[in-house]
Amino acid sequence: MQRNSGKLYTGICSKSEQNSVANNITLHFNNTFKDVPIVLGDATSATANTSAEGQVHHFSELKYVVSNIRLIKAEGGEIPYNINDLDKGAAVVDQSKPQTLDYVLSNIPAGEYKQIKFGLGVKTELNTLDEARFPVFYASAGANDTEMHWEWGTGYRFTKIEGFYDTDNKELSIHTGSTVEGTNGDPDSYTQGVDAYRDIILTLPNNAMVGRTAPRITINADFDKLLSGKTNTITLGDDNATPSAHTAVNMLLFVDNLGGDGSSDISGMFSVSAVKN
Amino acid sequence: MLSIFLLLLSCNKEDHIEMLPFENPEMHLDIPAGFPSLNTSFAKNRPTKYGVELGEKLFNEKKFSGNNTVSCASCHNPSMAFSDNQAQAIGVYDRVGLRNTPPLQNLAFMQFYNWDGNILQLEKQALVPIITHEEMNSSILEVISKLETDHQYRELFRRTFGDDDITPDKIYQSLAQYQYTLISADSKYDKVKRKQGETFTEREARGLGLFKIKCASCHSTELFTDQSFRNVGFPLNPSIEEAGRARVTGAEEDFMSFRVPSLRNAEYTAPYGSFGQFATLKAVLDYFDEGVLEAQNLDPILKQNENRIPLSEKEKDDIIGFIKTLSDSSFVGLYQK
Repeated sequence: MQRNSGKLYTGICSKSEQNSVANNITLHFNNTFKDVPIVLGDATSATANTSAEGQVHHFSELKYVVSNIRLIKAEGGEIPYNINDLDKGAAVVDQSKPQTLDYVLSNIPAGEYKQIKFGLGVKTELNTLDEARFPVFYASAGANDTEMHWEWGTGYRFTKIEGFYDTDNKELSIHTGSTVEGTNGDPDSYTQGVDAYRDIILTLPNNAMVGRTAPRITINADFDKLLSGKTNTITLGDDNATPSAHTAVNMLLFVDNLGGDGSSDISGMFSVSAVKN
Repeated sequence: MLSIFLLLLSCNKEDHIEMLPFENPEMHLDIPAGFPSLNTSFAKNRPTKYGVELGEKLFNEKKFSGNNTVSCASCHNPSMAFSDNQAQAIGVYDRVGLRNTPPLQNLAFMQFYNWDGNILQLEKQALVPIITHEEMNSSILEVISKLETDHQYRELFRRTFGDDDITPDKIYQSLAQYQYTLISADSKYDKVKRKQGETFTEREARGLGLFKIKCASCHSTELFTDQSFRNVGFPLNPSIEEAGRARVTGAEEDFMSFRVPSLRNAEYTAPYGSFGQFATLKAVLDYFDEGVLEAQNLDPILKQNENRIPLSEKEKDDIIGFIKTLSDSSFVGLYQK
């Protein structure tokens, strides 16, 4: 009886600690083809993947922007993480830079979290290359070895994928970003352009416990989905493998595969493979 | 105590404002009769006396480029209706841009800017050349840091906006105010139309007649553009970045479509085409006469006419004669002969 109440006491104690202490959550981005981690490189050294249509392809460069991160508590309720501050709440995940594969969310209120939401790309109202407002993110996205400014669209590139396809290693260059003016689907504000921002919703396999522990959530990004997605099955060719062609029509096919179509698919290439408390 | 303090503060603030009055009257602009309606942004950023003065100074300011060699006016040269004579724009370190420099004229009446219409408000355009690698290769904060050290600029910003803080928006607004004043409506065509004593020659009159039949479906309104986007089957830009209007809309039917250019001051804006494919107006008309490239989304008017605009040599010459009546020598700063 005494042991039991002692146990109970410990339980209450740790719970109250959880309630009172904020801690970090680390998002670890694991970029793969199916289950195989991607190694970037030239035609011979990079991890090769074969699409559903039997097309061999591999990457020399792989980058994407994550922003608008929100955590959903087990009991409900959303904790937004600097969603209107790109300097504090957005990151470029760059497969060539290991330090960018871990993004630390700091000072998350103690508690249990069951779900994470984030954007692939930058939501329209913040997607203006406003250096004065967000100098840190502007600089990191615009660095010479990063090139995530979409200058002509005065917005950010949301994904930048370079590489090769087919056995003769033709150039693959897939860039996505928004050109939308106003809000897509709202006739009062929409004037033109496409919205390539995609909201991702992922349910965690087990709750992330923030408090005494600082959880690490492994987010898998399976780039096999680029060509063999839930929405579209794509074969690369002269009409879609480079920007001039894919901006015309096919960019959104890639966007929907990577980030979901926003209705029937809300996860795209992403899934959570582990939550370590 | 606290509320008294706040009250004092707010009093002080009002005094402060009263101590620094600024008078920056709106500039009167003659809106030419028959021109299309103004872009709605114009009403929110009407040209002012000092805003235009500041905008013009900024327009000619080479500090906008990373290496202080290129200003807006380097490519948008007033003597060529604010364009240049390059096929594609040349920026810092002689880097070559994707497209032909568009002339800047009558911008207050345009609903779309750039050859693909990606920008809808002039105030939002200035950032593009500042940050583009092949143009000025700088950043807005870098520009501001250079301007801030110049007392003349600080004084102009104060006169224009009431305080001497230099911000991105103030730069964009004053540049737009200046460009809104670049109205060209004093060509021979305009004078004939306004019955100011000028008359068309026989060649020009024949040219106008032909123009109405052969060209005016697209080059309509007093701007001589209907501001639509069309694929007219011109030779294609080999750059993988080029998709025409489709890179804005993502729509297949806009692939390699470009904004119909105004023909005002066309005489001064060679070469022609989205990346300067044609050296002369004659070359453009020759191309239309011989036949354009086939495309799925080729403009229906061309499709209905076997992908060409048939023109005899004399007809071409007459049309060019008419197009030259759209030249506004006062706009490009030439002396009236």
